[in-house]
Amino acid sequence: MKGAWAILKKDFFSFCRSWVGVFVLFSYLLVGGIFFTLFLLGYSQLSLQAAGQSYEGVEGLSLTTFVMGAFILNSGILFLFLAPLLSMRSLAEEKRVGTLELLYTYPLSDFEIVLGKYLALMAELALLFLPTLLYGVLIRLLGPRVDGGVLFSGVLGFFLLGGTFLAIGLFYSSTTENQILAAILTFLTLLALWIFEWVAGLLPGVWAGRFQGLSPFVHFRDFPLGIVDLTDVAFFISAILFFFFLALRTVEVRNWKG
Amino acid sequence: MISVENVSKDYGARRALHEISFEVLKGEVLGLLGPNGAGKTTLLRILTGFFPPTFGRVTLEGIDLAKEPKKLKRRIGYLPERIAVYPDFRVEEFLKFAAEIKGVPSKERESEIEEKMELCGVTSVRKRLVGQLSKGFLQRVGLAHSLLANPDVLILDEPTNGLDPKQIIEIRELIRKLGRERTLILSTHILPEVSKVCERVLILNQGRIIAQGRPEDLERGLVERQEILLRVGQGGDSLEKVLGAIPGVRSVEKHAQEASVTSYVLQTLPHEDLRAEISKQVVKSGFPLLELTTKRLSLEDVFLKLVLSEEAVESR
Repeated sequence: MKGAWAILKKDFFSFCRSWVGVFVLFSYLLVGGIFFTLFLLGYSQLSLQAAGQSYEGVEGLSLTTFVMGAFILNSGILFLFLAPLLSMRSLAEEKRVGTLELLYTYPLSDFEIVLGKYLALMAELALLFLPTLLYGVLIRLLGPRVDGGVLFSGVLGFFLLGGTFLAIGLFYSSTTENQILAAILTFLTLLALWIFEWVAGLLPGVWAGRFQGLSPFVHFRDFPLGIVDLTDVAFFISAILFFFFLALRTVEVRNWKG
Repeated sequence: MISVENVSKDYGARRALHEISFEVLKGEVLGLLGPNGAGKTTLLRILTGFFPPTFGRVTLEGIDLAKEPKKLKRRIGYLPERIAVYPDFRVEEFLKFAAEIKGVPSKERESEIEEKMELCGVTSVRKRLVGQLSKGFLQRVGLAHSLLANPDVLILDEPTNGLDPKQIIEIRELIRKLGRERTLILSTHILPEVSKVCERVLILNQGRIIAQGRPEDLERGLVERQEILLRVGQGGDSLEKVLGAIPGVRSVEKHAQEASVTSYVLQTLPHEDLRAEISKQVVKSGFPLLELTTKRLSLEDVFLKLVLSEEAVESR
């Protein structure tokens, strides 16, 4: 597993100083920051109204769920656009430059290569998400108690969703030398999965359920509200494993081709 | 030390290697010689574990490559034909990454890298980005990289390809130095390179080993088989004696006559081109000279290509 660790470090390191890395980090923080501000303003407006007119049920609305929940939910959608940029280089670039040949001749199993690649992507996702936790601290400074459980559930959901996106991206990156193509295919796939969510609403009967079941966004919805459903967790984990092994098989293909 | 048994490799329907078998002894410097497309890189890639052979077996001191690839790869250092590097890494960063992945313990990593950079003469460029190095330095970095973790076996694919003559001499010197302590396999399409560096040579052509032995023996053995084909016109059927008298001609054989044309096959001595002398004699005897060619066997065909490509390199 030492080899996977070395690959993780190398990929993470070169991500941090690539223009893609800077761009992704910058746009995530910018757009995420705008989201957060909007939700915070929305909450304060709502609570002012509530104070004036005493709506029923509003007093139960927690700041964590309302602001952080909405923020994490929208981060997931934002990440749909950024995940292809993170994952496109992973294997495709090593293929194009030819460094994959080196990796193949190191004392490494194919599994270690793909695992190192995937964990590097997850580390990049964590780097992206880390500043977000500052928003939690910010809310805490504003006064009310932060609901740790809800926050944790949201973060868990976000990582499961992001992990699924990145596994899909890693798979496409393993199939081509062209990182732009890998990014486009990943993006189209994620877009299709997103569309499943609302297509499902238009369909009758059983088909609605089937389509909904395929959309990661449907499975993600409850996490930011503080609900961890094991069916959802199982969905994400099997999706990650499925695409991880597709990527691994693609890397292994050279062993039995010809 | 290394044994290759009946190794074949198919790329789809095309067979790139045909049942190759050979042994490499410990400490030996073995050259793989052959024109472009002979299957050298394919064979080396199999030896390094890049991909497995379609049929056959490779073992290193009894360790089967197919069964324990990691164990075997740890003992092999490989310099690919075009060393690919991460262009945004500095030389020492790249070597550090490779040392870690090759399993050099973290305490020894620093000194290991220093030692190999020193040996290959890249200490002066350690802070440079790998993507900006000249071809000569890149090749040296590649060599330093292949030496990390002190492999028992070093495999170099066309190590001097694309270098200028000065760099070629330097790299050859370095290779000779490395070959003193290690088992070394190197491929080249340049004939004189093997005689300068290697103790033993395998000649590959179209995926088969067509000859093997010490470079001196091979060269001698080849030239002894040199033949010259000669065609003479009208009345030239009595030239046997004249031709046989030319110094260097070992035997003259008269072949079928077609109308007025007579063909001869002459066996000649090594290292001599007798074509000028033969043509002079034929013309002096007063017969029309129609054709004069060196007839080569398949092995010599290979050599011709090799010699030509060396000339191309030198004239560049």
